[in-house]
Amino acid sequence: MTIAAAFLLLLVFGLLVFDWTAQKRKNRRSLWLQAAAFIGGAFFIVFPEHATSLAHVVGINRGVDFLIYPIVIWLVRESLLSRRARLEDGERIAELTRALAIATAQKI
Amino acid sequence: MSLAIAILMPAFNEKRLGATLATLAEAAIGDVDLTVYLVDDGSEQPIALADLPPRSPSFRIVLAHHACNLGQGASLETARRLALLDPRRDAYVTMDADGQHRAADALTLACAIRDGADVAFGNRFLGDSNVPPVKRLVLYAARIFEHVLTGLRLSDAHNGLRAFSCRALERIPIRQSRMAHATEIKLRVSRAPELVIVERPVSVRYSRHSIEKGQSSLGALSIVHELATHYLFGEP
Repeated sequence: MTIAAAFLLLLVFGLLVFDWTAQKRKNRRSLWLQAAAFIGGAFFIVFPEHATSLAHVVGINRGVDFLIYPIVIWLVRESLLSRRARLEDGERIAELTRALAIATAQKI
Repeated sequence: MSLAIAILMPAFNEKRLGATLATLAEAAIGDVDLTVYLVDDGSEQPIALADLPPRSPSFRIVLAHHACNLGQGASLETARRLALLDPRRDAYVTMDADGQHRAADALTLACAIRDGADVAFGNRFLGDSNVPPVKRLVLYAARIFEHVLTGLRLSDAHNGLRAFSCRALERIPIRQSRMAHATEIKLRVSRAPELVIVERPVSVRYSRHSIEKGQSSLGALSIVHELATHYLFGEP
């Protein structure tokens, strides 16, 4: 295993342990999903040749490209959807605050 | 001839509000009837009734509180909706609470509406304003930006002192909660070609207080960001 691979593994499992302990009293179901994704990632960090073999099957040259292409596409989509959701949430909060302000306005 | 005016005024942690309202109360004499729709945008120390000048037959205040800070655009929208709930006025004037706008200029813009305009924008460069050089440069760029965006040829940009007729105000809902509302208003005005638009000279007096509290020149970048976000993700 290379130094880079060891460092990446440390980061992956370090983040997982941190998130697990930081969310002690919360719903941890999403953490199981995170753990599955991280363990999958750790597998390809330790055995990059498997990623390359899979990449060749679908006609991509390098294993890293095989992993990164779909991840980048997914992250861009996720980022755009989050921005839309944030804007819509902001508008809902504004409407709610405004309705309350109008209902309780005082005429002097 | 009498003139019934609604002043739409957002306020956030504003120390000079009392003085601003006092000048408006003084302006409400003779045939001028003023109602201030004051929206406290989640100030740390909420505006209390004791902070406000007393009402008179020709001067009254409608005070609304936002439970949290939403931004100047959102506060103007609250004031707009409150004003439209009440009987129709001759003119609706938006005005800052920090004392940089003059009551006399608010009346000038209101008179322009009474004389037939639907939207009267204040032009600080034609009045006795003391615009700092850097701000002047940023406003020049903003003017070009807004001209490209809206097609309107106006001599000032992002001036908070403006007036509307009732039919114009009904057509200009504000969705931009923060500072980009000034450009949004111009965009909406440009999409309603039946509205008559005029510009009138106004004096904007910048003090240390208003410069510290107001938008920084870098705020222009935030405005572009807000406009882009709404363009991409807001209403179609």
